[in-house]
Amino acid sequence: MKTFSYLVPKTLDEAVSLFESHSDRVMYVAGGTDVMVKTKQGKIAPDYLISLKHLSDLDKVKMNPDTNELIIGALATHRTLETSTLIRRQFPIIHDAVQHIGSTQIRNVATIGGNIVNAVPSADGAIPLIALDGVAKMYGPNGERTVDLIHFFEGPGQTVLEAGEILTEIIIPSQSSHTGGAYQKVGRRAAMELPLIGVGIVLTLEPDSAVCQKARICLGVAAPTPLRTLSAERFLTGKVLNEDILIEAGNIAAEESRVRDSIRGQAWYRREMVSVFVRRMGLKCLKRIEETN
Amino acid sequence: MGTKQKYSTVGKRVPKLDAIDKATGRAQYIQDVKLPGMLYGKILYSKYPHARIVNIDTSKAEKLSGVRVVLTGEDIPNIRMGVYKDNPPLKAGKVRSYRDEVAAVAATEPEIAKKAIDLIEVTYEALPSVFDPITAMQPDAPLVHENHKTNILKMPWKLHYGDVETARKEAAHVVEKQFTTTWVTHCCLGTSGAIADFDNNNNLTIHTNTQIPSLAQKDFQETLKALGIPDKRVRVIKPVIGGGFGSKLDTYAYEHVAILLAWHARRAVKVLFDREEEFVATSTRQPTIIDIAMGCDTEGRLMFRDINMVLDNGAYTSWGVTTPSVMMMPITSLYRVPNVRYQAKCVYTNNTYAQAMRGYGNPQATFAIESAMDILAEAAGIDRLEIRRINSNQPGDETPQGFKITTCGLPECINAVEKVLDIEKPKTKGEGIGIASLIHVGGGARIYKSDGCGAIIKLDDFGKADVFTGASDMGQGADTVIAQIVAEQLGLEVEDIHVIHQDTDICPWDVGAHASRTTFVAGNAALGAAKKIRSRILELGAELMGITQTKLDLRNRHVVAQDEPEKTMPIGKLLRKAHFSHGGTMMMADFFYDPANENMGRDFRGNLSMTYAFGTHGVRLKVDEETGKVEILDYVAAHDVGRAINPMLLDGQVHGGVMMGVGYALTEQVILEKGRNMNPDFRDYKILTAKDAIPLTPVVIETIDPDGPYGAKGIGEPGCVPTAPAIANAIYDAIGVRILDLPITPERVLAEIKKKKGVDSCGIDPLTEKEQPC
Ligand SMILES: Cc1cc2nc3c(=O)[nH]c(=O)nc-3n(C[C@H](O)[C@H](O)[C@H](O)COP(=O)(O)OP(=O)(O)OC[C@H]3O[C@@H](n4cnc5c(N)ncnc54)[C@H](O)[C@@H]3O)c2cc1C
Repeated sequence: MKTFSYLVPKTLDEAVSLFESHSDRVMYVAGGTDVMVKTKQGKIAPDYLISLKHLSDLDKVKMNPDTNELIIGALATHRTLETSTLIRRQFPIIHDAVQHIGSTQIRNVATIGGNIVNAVPSADGAIPLIALDGVAKMYGPNGERTVDLIHFFEGPGQTVLEAGEILTEIIIPSQSSHTGGAYQKVGRRAAMELPLIGVGIVLTLEPDSAVCQKARICLGVAAPTPLRTLSAERFLTGKVLNEDILIEAGNIAAEESRVRDSIRGQAWYRREMVSVFVRRMGLKCLKRIEETN
Repeated sequence: MGTKQKYSTVGKRVPKLDAIDKATGRAQYIQDVKLPGMLYGKILYSKYPHARIVNIDTSKAEKLSGVRVVLTGEDIPNIRMGVYKDNPPLKAGKVRSYRDEVAAVAATEPEIAKKAIDLIEVTYEALPSVFDPITAMQPDAPLVHENHKTNILKMPWKLHYGDVETARKEAAHVVEKQFTTTWVTHCCLGTSGAIADFDNNNNLTIHTNTQIPSLAQKDFQETLKALGIPDKRVRVIKPVIGGGFGSKLDTYAYEHVAILLAWHARRAVKVLFDREEEFVATSTRQPTIIDIAMGCDTEGRLMFRDINMVLDNGAYTSWGVTTPSVMMMPITSLYRVPNVRYQAKCVYTNNTYAQAMRGYGNPQATFAIESAMDILAEAAGIDRLEIRRINSNQPGDETPQGFKITTCGLPECINAVEKVLDIEKPKTKGEGIGIASLIHVGGGARIYKSDGCGAIIKLDDFGKADVFTGASDMGQGADTVIAQIVAEQLGLEVEDIHVIHQDTDICPWDVGAHASRTTFVAGNAALGAAKKIRSRILELGAELMGITQTKLDLRNRHVVAQDEPEKTMPIGKLLRKAHFSHGGTMMMADFFYDPANENMGRDFRGNLSMTYAFGTHGVRLKVDEETGKVEILDYVAAHDVGRAINPMLLDGQVHGGVMMGVGYALTEQVILEKGRNMNPDFRDYKILTAKDAIPLTPVVIETIDPDGPYGAKGIGEPGCVPTAPAIANAIYDAIGVRILDLPITPERVLAEIKKKKGVDSCGIDPLTEKEQPC
């Protein structure tokens, strides 16, 4: 493996200026579970790795008491999210996803930010956050900006991040009451598994009725970037939700998905799983709404 | 059938002697071994599945600083590996698979060797390839080895006992099906590697992960002979081995390449596989296409079994080609079946070549046989357990192949599964139960002229014993079992025994760690040597203590008088007296044990093993009918083990075997696309993880075999043999869908469910109504 210099800035500005002063063969690294694998495989060969692990506060998960927004620091590990009571109680859809990423050892070091920036079609972490209408906050040479997480991805391995920009936070807007979410990774084994398909759903019902006010259906591995199946979402909105409606939504979502054949799985099967798990996760959302109200 | 505990060490749950070393990182694997001035070797593999090598330009690699040797197939003498001697360690003229070794480099650093490999320019001219054994058998198929004239290997795998045609006509019920199995691989956590080192007299020392130190010696000697240095010594040193499972039963290109590089460099050379190489360049279990017909009379008694098999041999020939000889065992002898016919064709293709792997063909054959047993039971309207009981092997049987069944716990195994799995328990929707049984060699197997193993025991002044064994501990725990056997005989504690198995200069001869033979054969060898020492100690004790020998016993590190417990003498003291006296004696003994089993004759008849191991597995599972996913709810594995010398290690073998079997059944496959390995990593090769571990209850049936050490039979392989058919049978029981191909992926199950419902998901996608590849 090629050697590199490892730089450890303490502030965002320091990180950005280190990046700019080494601009060519430099890379940010968080948990390194993607960076080190690629470096060892010789797919990338950075001369400098700038660690983001010591930027204070960016590894926290907290509620903003004024806005009721959930703030997830980009440097929060999957394990932090998995073991957070706040996440488990109020955002179980995130817990659904992070608890099955890699293994405990991987989750101990791998970050949600790294997962998002790495932007592979098979990633688990972003799907629930997109379903929750998450917003990505970035900081770079030109200051701070935000973008809706669904628009963060431009292609496999490609994001809107400009050179030197750091993903700092994911902001989950305040959730209406009567909202429930659920995520399922469809895989072959119980750990160390990339999804064949990932299905994340968030449903909001009108208070005291089963009428769907808002629906988010987000799929992983169904397209080169995370995919919201808008027709299926529209189909659900305004309808009284029951199993039959969710079955139909599942079929619509399956049709919208752009799944492919690969050695990991066949397109027909992935499509089939979209329709099965849109229904199942939809029902799980309804159950969770019922349980919290 | 438990026996009363009269032993102090045998039968105890003794933790593996090397467990702590392994857990704390003290154990020295090949990865850890470094010799002074050692170079690092690296191998360049083919870029084509089948191609003529037009030119190899090594000049750039040779010029790279730090590179000491560059070799191609043109630079080496005629060396041929494998049972068929069709495999040179570096290929000249043409490549026949992606794993073909084209060139090798030795350099001062691993990184330099890697860089040098990338600098070698090979010009290929692609040749038409063949990846499917059925196509490869056609007369116009491309030839993998031109001078072999045909892709069908000239192997004698053909037997017919009794009269299958007549039995078939007379049978009341006949089933006929085709099953297929695919490539799976051993997944040893310790990757392969070797260090070759010549001394000034051209004697070779090779540190290598091998299950066959003594036979490997001979292979390496052949290579030295080819190099023009016959009659040299070859010393094989085994580091701690991180898993074998049959993968180390042959010698491989990387070992011979290490020797060749070291020979040219005049320095030690280490070749070490990375994980991708381990997946791509080591051998697999052999894929099979199995046509089976089986019939019974109105009572459910088996009348005949007729099996035709095609095996994908890959481009070269290692032990994989001989697995039909072991498949014969379940085919002729699992249950009583009077008329048997079997034929197997092994066919060259441009795929990877196969090797030995735990069970050695038995899992493939048993998948077909035990799946077909259930189909037959249904056709005959007989309960699945009942048909197995009706046909169960019994002690005293001689099977059509001439296997003499001595002890046989098969009926007890079937009963145990029925009871422990609580087969009558009501099932919820999607739940099903399946069972399958096995027979395997349990008392060695006479594959070679000898099935022997030697042991030497030497005692020190303090009552501690060194045991030098021919056995190879690859993680299975052979050292621990041997220590228990010796401790038991000598009245010592397990920690008093030091087992040495690492070095052919020190250890006696053995034919190899295969055929589940180590506990039985190496155990008997150690027992034989220990008995000799025991009687010498007793003799001396009688003399020193003035008590007749027959009244003495060895217990708690002492010689004790049976009737007068106060009269004892520490064994250490006795040994010092033996050593420190005029005309003293050295306490050392050797023993060579070669079981009285038989080579198979030309008709494949012969009592291959001294005793046979039996077992039955039962599984309760649930099928998700919308996803095709199988969840195992409960699993019972009952094995006739003769005697459990170490129940803890035995549990380990059963757990490990069953998990390997579950992977074989449900998830594992080496995906080859036109000969190229598409999943050479643990991300995409779906070996099961600790999180996938299933609820498993091993049941030990002790039949106390008269020929086994303390009654033990071999149990290394059986754990993974009947798992796949038990699972396939349970899936059928659950949802009425019969899967004939391994692995039983959710896709396959769902496709069959849809087919049953009249939707063809493979041909036409039910959603888009477009054609889908299957
Ligand atoms: C054995 C194993 C199992 C895995 N299993 C899964 C799984 O089940 N599901 C799954 O989705 N993934 C899985 N992964 C992939 C990986 O663990 C995740 O993508 C992980 O979240 C990446 O986070 P990291 O902190 O390690 O990223 P790093 O490797 O440190 O970085 C990844 C990329 O993001 C960039 N980066 C990191 N943080 C920032 C930031 N704040 N701002 C800007 N750029 C940044 C880096 O420059 C790099 O390009 C697995 C990986 C391994 C090795």
